[in-house]
Amino acid sequence: MMRKVYVHARCELMPGDLEPDYRSLFSVMEARRMGRLLKRGVWTSAEALKQAGIDVPEAVVIGTDFGCIENSESFLKALKGLEDAPLRPTHFMQSTHNTIASLIAIRLGCHGYNATYSHRGRSYESALQDAATQIALGDIDNALVGWFDEMTPNLSASLLSQGIEPKEHALAVVLSANPEGALDILSF
Amino acid sequence: METLIHVTGAGVVSAVGCGQGETLDALRRGRSGIAPVRYLRTEEKAFPVGEVKFSDAEMAARCGARQGLSRTSLMGILALEEALAQAGLKDLTGVPLIGGTTVGGMDLTERIFPAYSPLHDCGASTDAIAAHFGGSPWATTLSTACSSAANAVIFGANLIRSGQAEIVAVGGSESLSDFHLHGFGSLMILDTAPCRPFDATRAGLNLGEGAAFLILESETSRKRRGVASLAVLSGFGNACDAFHQTASSENGEGAFLAMQKALRMAGLRPEEIDYVNAHGTGTPNNDASESAALRRVFGEQMPPVSSTKAFTGHTTSASGSIEAVFCLLALQEGFIPANLNWATPDPACITPYRGGDASCPTGHLPLKHILCNAFGFGGNDSSLLFSR
Repeated sequence: MMRKVYVHARCELMPGDLEPDYRSLFSVMEARRMGRLLKRGVWTSAEALKQAGIDVPEAVVIGTDFGCIENSESFLKALKGLEDAPLRPTHFMQSTHNTIASLIAIRLGCHGYNATYSHRGRSYESALQDAATQIALGDIDNALVGWFDEMTPNLSASLLSQGIEPKEHALAVVLSANPEGALDILSF
Repeated sequence: METLIHVTGAGVVSAVGCGQGETLDALRRGRSGIAPVRYLRTEEKAFPVGEVKFSDAEMAARCGARQGLSRTSLMGILALEEALAQAGLKDLTGVPLIGGTTVGGMDLTERIFPAYSPLHDCGASTDAIAAHFGGSPWATTLSTACSSAANAVIFGANLIRSGQAEIVAVGGSESLSDFHLHGFGSLMILDTAPCRPFDATRAGLNLGEGAAFLILESETSRKRRGVASLAVLSGFGNACDAFHQTASSENGEGAFLAMQKALRMAGLRPEEIDYVNAHGTGTPNNDASESAALRRVFGEQMPPVSSTKAFTGHTTSASGSIEAVFCLLALQEGFIPANLNWATPDPACITPYRGGDASCPTGHLPLKHILCNAFGFGGNDSSLLFSR
């Protein structure tokens, strides 16, 4: 018997929104080391979890269409000699798509299920489907689901030339099996 | 697991060969595919790699793929073609495709950057594989670094358990790229010699490439179609080490939890596991951390453990499904792939299985349950459990 899945919290930053005050979450040093994508990811996740009254979720499932594209580009520029800069391991380490989900798990001390979907046009939907399926099956009772993307001029130009509108995403939701206090029921 | 999930097809391509036949032969004979760089366009020649021994054009000709696809997609097509044929499927009609990759089409983008290939992103890579066969109702892509393919298997299994699909094609594909060769190089975790998993002198990994796909199928569908079961996916576990972006914790917490979850789901005791295909990359950090986790799970009753990375190199995002196929071959053929290049014990590591088992002179081991580990950057640790 499959359980129903409820949406308990939702926090989104729109592309034009001002950056939130990150000082409540990060030290100056931390904030400097982290790109905007990661800061937005951690911040919206923390807000959504706070709304839902959950300290540590049982799963973190993230969708990202293009991943940490700024760090990938920094590494590529150095690799191709487009910039007079050395290859920086940090750029490579933080270029993988799962950097956001991993950072959220590290900050929350969350050892539960952790996954990242990267499939243009389907990343967020897949993350929701994965988390909701596990809740419906009774494997877990709640999950943090997010959708995070950043854009660079190079990627935007490439997408526009393919007739695709470049879009940033910063959205975190909390799903749960608990109907009490739910904002909505999720159909998937 | 309450729902039986069968593997009804498998396909694999890696440095040791194309298809299950060549793969089995290499694993049995201890023949490694690691060699100096031959196909990858790079100036970096210091590190040996596990390349699939075809150029892009040769691969495209072999599978009849359209021009211009990424190497990641081409290898994926080769592997999925074999898996579908074994499962008796003509195409992907009614079958969701769950891929795993991180590199995607980076091999194309890095040639033209700052322009991007339209096939750059991970999803485009999986979509190209789906489009080659046709009929798939939808596709998606896991990107959890080196556990991507293992997590694709897990998501596919959950689709079947929850009744959202009867048959799924799951796995992963990853080509070598100049980008991640230099990336791993910048982390100082590549060895200039062939990798030596669990050896005291291990000094890093060799990068590899390849692809593998499995066809997972519900019991009802398998019976209705009258196809043979290669094995059952009896359990799986995904956990996060939540320790560091690229390093594993000393006690192997994520790996421990992943293996423990898989055992619990299958309702098996640790002593019932006949073989563990370790992640075993050959880096000092991974092998010590994984050994700590293995010791926590198995205690004194350590089953044979081997890493097959010295055969293929570390095939990164594809390693979870490539090594799952190795485990299926081991179950069916009754053998354990040797941990090549191991010579010196390390107190921090388990002693791996090196083959030539005196207790089994016939060369046929009655294996019933095999654990297959795949761990990734970000502490994305997954373990799959296959049973006969």
